[in-house]
Parts: sequence; C-alpha cells; structure tokens
Amino acid sequence: MASREIIRYDNSPLLRLAKILTPIFLAVYLVWTLLPLFIMVMASMKDLLDAFDTPDAGDWGGVAMFFDFTPTLKHYYVLFAENNFGVYLFNSLVASLGSALVAVTLGSMAAYSLARMEFRGKKDLLFWIISTRMAPMVAVTVPLYAIFRSLDLVGTLPGLILAFTTFNLPFAIWILKGFFENVPYAIEEAAQVDGCTRFQAFLTIVPLVAPGVGAFLVLCILFAWNDFLFATIIGSGGAKTLPAATKELVQPQNIDWGKIMAAGVITTAPMIPLGLLVRKYLVAGLTMGAVRE
Amino acid sequence: MVDVKIENVYKYYGSIDGVAAVHDLNMDIKNGEFVAILGPSGCGKSSTMRMISGLEHISAGTISFGGNIVNNLAPKDRDIAMVFENYALYPHKTVFDNVANPLKLAKVSSPEITERVKRATQLLEIDHLLDRRPQELSGGQKQRVAIGRAIVRQPQVFLFDEPIAHLDAKLRARMRSELKRLQVDLGVTSLYVTHDQLEALSMADRVAVMHEGILQQYDTPQAIYEKPANAWVATFVGEPQMSLIECVIRQKGSGVVLDFEGHEIAVGAKVGKVLAASKEREVLAGFRPNHVAINTRKTAGSIPGIIYARQLLGGEILAEAQVNNTMIRARVNTDFSLQLGDKCSVSLSKEDLNVFSADTGVAIY
Amino acid sequence: MSGENVSKRHPIFTADAWGFRASEQMPETINRSPSKLFYVYLMAPAIALLAAITIYPFLWLIYMSLHKVKLGPVDDKWVGLKNYAKLLSDAKYFEGWVLLGKYSSMCLTFEIIIGVTLAVILNNSRFEKPLVTLFLMPMMVSPVVAGLLWFYLYNGTFGWYHWLFESLGLLGGASILGRPETALYGIVIVDVWQWTPLITLITLAGLKRVPQDQLEASMVDGSSPIRNFFSVSLPNIFPFLLIAILLRFMDNFRFIDAILALTGGGPADSTKLLPVYLFDVSFKFFKLGRGGAIAFSLLVVTIILGLILVRIFEDPARKQAMSAQD
Repeated sequence: MASREIIRYDNSPLLRLAKILTPIFLAVYLVWTLLPLFIMVMASMKDLLDAFDTPDAGDWGGVAMFFDFTPTLKHYYVLFAENNFGVYLFNSLVASLGSALVAVTLGSMAAYSLARMEFRGKKDLLFWIISTRMAPMVAVTVPLYAIFRSLDLVGTLPGLILAFTTFNLPFAIWILKGFFENVPYAIEEAAQVDGCTRFQAFLTIVPLVAPGVGAFLVLCILFAWNDFLFATIIGSGGAKTLPAATKELVQPQNIDWGKIMAAGVITTAPMIPLGLLVRKYLVAGLTMGAVRE
Repeated sequence: MVDVKIENVYKYYGSIDGVAAVHDLNMDIKNGEFVAILGPSGCGKSSTMRMISGLEHISAGTISFGGNIVNNLAPKDRDIAMVFENYALYPHKTVFDNVANPLKLAKVSSPEITERVKRATQLLEIDHLLDRRPQELSGGQKQRVAIGRAIVRQPQVFLFDEPIAHLDAKLRARMRSELKRLQVDLGVTSLYVTHDQLEALSMADRVAVMHEGILQQYDTPQAIYEKPANAWVATFVGEPQMSLIECVIRQKGSGVVLDFEGHEIAVGAKVGKVLAASKEREVLAGFRPNHVAINTRKTAGSIPGIIYARQLLGGEILAEAQVNNTMIRARVNTDFSLQLGDKCSVSLSKEDLNVFSADTGVAIY
Repeated sequence: MSGENVSKRHPIFTADAWGFRASEQMPETINRSPSKLFYVYLMAPAIALLAAITIYPFLWLIYMSLHKVKLGPVDDKWVGLKNYAKLLSDAKYFEGWVLLGKYSSMCLTFEIIIGVTLAVILNNSRFEKPLVTLFLMPMMVSPVVAGLLWFYLYNGTFGWYHWLFESLGLLGGASILGRPETALYGIVIVDVWQWTPLITLITLAGLKRVPQDQLEASMVDGSSPIRNFFSVSLPNIFPFLLIAILLRFMDNFRFIDAILALTGGGPADSTKLLPVYLFDVSFKFFKLGRGGAIAFSLLVVTIILGLILVRIFEDPARKQAMSAQD
C-alpha cells in the first residue's frame, strides 16, 4: 500500500493564497448551510408578531432584533393540541415504515434472485425496474390518482403505502442487487455442501447483508417520509402526513410563521439523526448504487 | 466411501451448439483413491468438480457414486465435503461454528459435535483458534478451518478446489504433505483440482490432465511424466519444460535414425523398432532437460549450437542451446563454463526420449 | 511454451494444437435443465407488485392521453391524438421545457462549481468527517419543508434573507420571488442549498479513488499540485461527475415539491417548469387528458435520460475506474 502522505514542496503564491482562502470558504459555506436551519428553529419558538420583525435595510446593527424574543413552545403545543399533528405524525410513521418494509422485504428477495440468476432479458427487466424509479412523480401521480380513486384507496394509509412503494420498491431492488452481488456466492455453495437446502443457503448470508439492508430500509423511510406530492394527492383527507400538513398551514392571509416553522422542525427533526445514522450508505443510496464510498 | 464414475459427461454454458466446457468426459475414481485433475485455467477442471459436487448442472451424461446416479441430487444429498479456493468460510461465525456447521445441519447431538470439532481441529492444529472469526485468521489458518469443516464428518467424497493456491510457497509445500497424509489416514475418495503440476504429481494416486474441455491423459503421475499421451501433455507437465524438436524418420542400414535439419540423431534399439513400425514420417522428438547434455567439445553424434541462455536453479544450471531455430534445454552442473553466445555441442539421449506425430501430436513412443 | 520449436513447415502449430481435440460429436441425450423456480418464486412478488403499481398506471396514462377525461360518472370520450396536437400550439408547454432546461442548468452549474471546490478542500482537510456531517444536513430536509423555510426567508416583510438582499442593495424593494425576473434565481438558490452536498459527497468518493501512483508519478514528473488536480484528479473524477449531473438532472424532472411551496409556478408563470405546469393542468384545472399527454412526453424524455445513465452505469471502463481502489 502506497503511503497516503503528500508532501507539499510547492510554495507558489497561488498556493499560499489558497491556504488563506480555504478556511474562509469553509466558514462561509458552513454559515450558508446551517443558517436557514438555525433560523427555522429559532422562528419556531417565536410567538408575538414583533419577534418576526426585521430591521430597516442596511441597518446591520439591527440583527440583534433576531434574538430579541421570549422563546416559547406554544406552537408545538398548538400543533399537537389543535392541528391534529399527532395524527399526521402517526400517518407519516405508518406510511413510511410500512412502505419501507414492503419495499425492502420484497425487494431483497427479488434483488437476491437478480444477483444470482442469469437469464435472457435480464438487462431489460433491470432497466424497466430502474426506469420506474426515475419517472417524474407528477407524471405518475396523475394515473395513480385515477386508479386509486376507483379502488377507494385515495385518502387511506394502505393507498399511501402503495404509492410510496412505487418509488421505494424499484430503489430497494436495484440497490440491494448490487449489495448481494458483493457477497461471494462460494459461501452459499459451501453451505449447500454442508447440508443446506437452496433456501437455507440463502438464509446463511442474511446476517452478512443485514447491516446494509437495514441502512437501505432507513433510506426508504427517509424518502417516503419526505415525500410531498403523493402525500398531498393520494393521502389527502384521511392519510395526511407531516409534509402535506405543514404545507397546508400556509394560508393566503395572516401567515403564522412561527407555527409553520415549528411544523417544519417536527417534520425535519427525526430525519436528520436517521440520515446521519446511515451516513455510510448515503452516497450509494442517493446515486442508485452507482457511486460507493 | 464410494467409487465415483463419470460417464460421457458434457458441460455447456449457454447453448449446446456452442463450445463445451467439458467434452465427453469419462473417468472413474476408485474407492479411497486420491485423484487430481490438472490443467490450465479454462480447461474444464473446475466445471468437472462442480458437477460432481452438484453445484452445477450436468448438461449430458451421468455421474454416479457407488453405482447410484447422483445427477439429480442436491449437494446436501450427495454426502460430499468440499474445500473452496477462497475458503468460503462464514465470516460472521466463529471457527468452532464454521467447523460445526455441517454437523449441526446433520442434527448431530451437541456433545458429539463438540467432541468431533475438537478432534478435527486438533488434527489440524487450530484448536486454539476456536473462538476467533475468519477475518482474524491468516490465510493458512483459514485454509485449515476450511479443511476442518470438510473432515469433521466422514463424507463419501472429498472435493478440493485449488485449496492451497493462495498460500505462500513455503506453506504450500507443507500443506501438500499434510493433505496427502490426511487423505491416506482418512481413506476417503478424493478429487483435487489444481493448475499446479507439482501439487498434482506429488499428491495424487492418479492424475487427469485436461485441456480445452478434453481429458488428455488419465494415469499415474509417473506415467504422465514418462509416457505423455501427446505432445501437449509432454510440454505441459515437467519443469523445466521438455524440448521438442522436429525430425524426420529416416532409414539407415537395418534400423532408423531421426533426421533433425540434416543432423543425424541415433536412437536406441527399442525406440528404433517402434519408429520403424510407425507409419508416421514427420515426428516431434521430445527430450527432458536431464536427458540432454551440452558440452564444449564436439563428440560423436552431437549437434553444434550456440548458448542462448543460462539460468541458475540452485544446485544446477538450466542451459539453453540454440540450433538454427530450435531451442534445446539441458540441466548441467554449476561448473558449466560456457557463456551466452559461445559455441557448444548438444548430445541427446538415445533411450530417454518421447516421439510424437508431428501432425496430430499423439505419442508414437 | 515451446513456440520457438514451431517449424516453418507447420506455421499453424502451437503447443495447444498438439493435444487431443474435441470432436464434432454432440451428446446423444441432454439432461433436463435445472429448475430456476426457486429464483422465480423469490422474484415474483416484487415484480408482480411493481408491475401492478407502475405498468397499469402507465397504460392508464396512455389511455387518458387519448381521451377527454370526464370527472363525473360520464364515459370518457375518445379524441385520438388531439391532446398531443394541442400541445404543439401550447406556448406554456414549450415555455415549460425551456424553463426546466434553464433551471436545471443553472442549478447544476452552481452545484458543480461549489460542490467540487468544497470536495477538494475537504479532501485535504483534517476536519473532513465532522464538516461533511454538518454540510449534508440540508439533504435530509423534506423538499417541501425546505421550500416553506426559504419562502419565509425570502418574505418581503419578515424574511431575514430578504433583509440581507436589501441591505446589500440587491433586488430594489421587491421580494426575490415577487418579480418574474428574479423568481427563477430564487428557486435555484434553494436547490443549490439543498443539493450541493450531494455533489460534494460524490466528488469526494471520486477523489478517494484517484490512484495514488498516478499522483506520485505526476509529482515526480515535476507538476504542481494545481496542475496535478487538472491533469490527474479531474479526469479520474469525471465519471463520478457525469453520474452526479445526470442524477440531479433527473431529480429536477422528478421533484417539484420545493417549487410548489415557493412559487407554485408564478409570478407570471416565470417558474412554471414543465412538471409544475403538468401539476397545474392535472390537479388545478383537472384536464386529465391533456395532463396525460404532457406526462407521457415527460416520461419519454426521462426514459431516454435513464438509458444514457444506465449505459454509463454499465460501462466496463467506468466500472473499473470507479472501483479501482475498493
């Protein structure tokens, strides 16, 4: 293994400039990334309209006004007590977890077969699978709505789970296929020689893939949880989820910013730790397995 | 323990109009025998073993264990044990659980499992590693665990798929003798696939040499070395390689001689008789390096050449002489004084040679 | 081998030809092929479900695009290709494509420039791990929530970013989303905020696989670190960037959640990208037939992009380059 050490001999002015600029760039980027989230959290704890005031243009000292408020958790309380957010939270949980479980269970079975079996037309089948995942959501929503309406699935949790599965299942199949391909087939062969049936041999590698399968389950939850389009069109009415409910808080007149930001925090908060938990698989997950870290 | 019979076996990947990976293979392995299949990569040796194990479908023909056709039996029902090239240990299980796995699947009682795993691992000197996981083991240790998993039960047939290919040279030498010892002690019918002729020749009772899906020769190691069935086997087996020179059989007096580009090579009476009876005229004469001498002085019947290369092989030197466009290799002593480009004379053995048809490569003598 | 022994009289002879050869003879009987039913059983539920929730809607989509879809209990009316023909004279449809292209290329330009710069800096930084963790947080935010958050930040009365723009003398009074000239930039900024980290992560993955020996060889040849980046690193991360670009491009087709929350397509249709227009046609005006036609055309383009992506996925040279140091 070559050493990873890189010795810098070059001391050109350009490089020295780069050395000074990089920390500045990183600091600016850090602020740019986190400031909106910080403002969201702060605003969610502001109540009185005064607290939302911004200073006059150019009044840089006025930034202090941002911190000039008495923090309150009133919005969070109201969301759950009066706006049914408890129900929406439950809907979000059931719909995203349900769809993730369906997708990963059926998906890993199919992915395993596709990883181990060669047959004519396999490439075409795989392309069909991935293309269903790439389809624009709006384009899919139109016919899906029509069908679900005729089946009385609109506004129900099973309907929403099924709708989320349209993007989670192809994702799970495609990404888990790559995952199974990395498990040497020889282990299953050894198991068969040891006395396993074909199915028992498949079970022997389950512990090996469990961490990855778990991570992709989490990613499926994330995709479904964050979805808005299906949630608002298929789930509207009886199966409203947090993103859809949050959007509905926006009224034409007298927008209650504090409440909306609080709803945003409720929607976002569980996903950030979840996303960081599967950090290792994030790039693979978001690039359909094309790029691995 | 059973005998294994392979009859008219074919293996096709994809369409049967294509090239067969294994073509019309017929082999029998006697009860308790140690047979090696030797050949370069892609010769069909692994396909053959995988068909015997049941991991791969037999396209045509039959394989039987002790007279029972096993074609349609799943691997688990064939009562075989196999050691894989890359060991194929269960990475999430300890050494103990890896070795115990076949016994657990066979529903052997737990005290007996412990006892048998202990015995097998003691035999392989890995009994101190029972709690480790495969990633904590060295290559040699992993390989022993894989063997342990195979010998922990008494299977009908042992299958070894290049089991020591990935070990370093020193460990390989040691494992060769240990595996051989183990096989003799257990007395289980064994099949060993390898591309390494040293492994095949040193361990096996009989060696099957395969090339391009065809069984070239199936015989004892000694016969394969001394009486190769054709010129391909002759040049594949033996290190350093046999030299082949192109000759014409010519009548001389009452006997025959080999004419090599105008030089006359005399042959012994026994060889001469066979050659005289053969219909072939154009032949390849093969000489192992230890049956060739290269000298400074011209002697009777020697061929003039030029030293092309010399390599020190420890206790001896491999010298290569160029005669026109042909290279002839010889083992010589380390006091060999000729240097590259020097003129020399090559003397060939009269008795110890092999003769093949130049047309088909099939052995004549 | 003994190629040197090959005589002039037999130029085709190699050592390989001196062994026994396979005859033309084929086996008399072929054994029954092994059963693949095990795999088929495992695969069947997923494929069946996927077919039901994708092929069926796809057929529906085609059906709708060929009909005037009535919402009541009345039968739909067959109109042939009329819905498609109407698109040809629909200025908003073409404008939708143009805006989608404009939006996507603007987003990608900024995301690539910032994302790659960030990746190069992080790759040489001691704080790579914690910084990456902080940087990727926007990706976890639900796009509609991101849209609402920025909707607030841009707000002409209460928005702190609006105040910032004002204070810097930009915009001149109006909110960024309030004017057709600036609204598109407004939604681009949100996409850049949320998705630049993805480009950074992909580029970082690529930089980690730049072969060390190539870098060393280039340094021994006397090139500066900056030249090194352009002559060694950049060509090596190019396949990664290509994938990133295509994925982001397709995501811009897929997701309009943030735009719906920010502008809903306005003002004066200045952010009515084709998918947003499709949303309006289908779910505001309930012209499901025409919506079907638009959706179908959008799908066709996506599938073409998808084919290109899969080509790149399966290109053996790329595969090798991308897994070189696995």
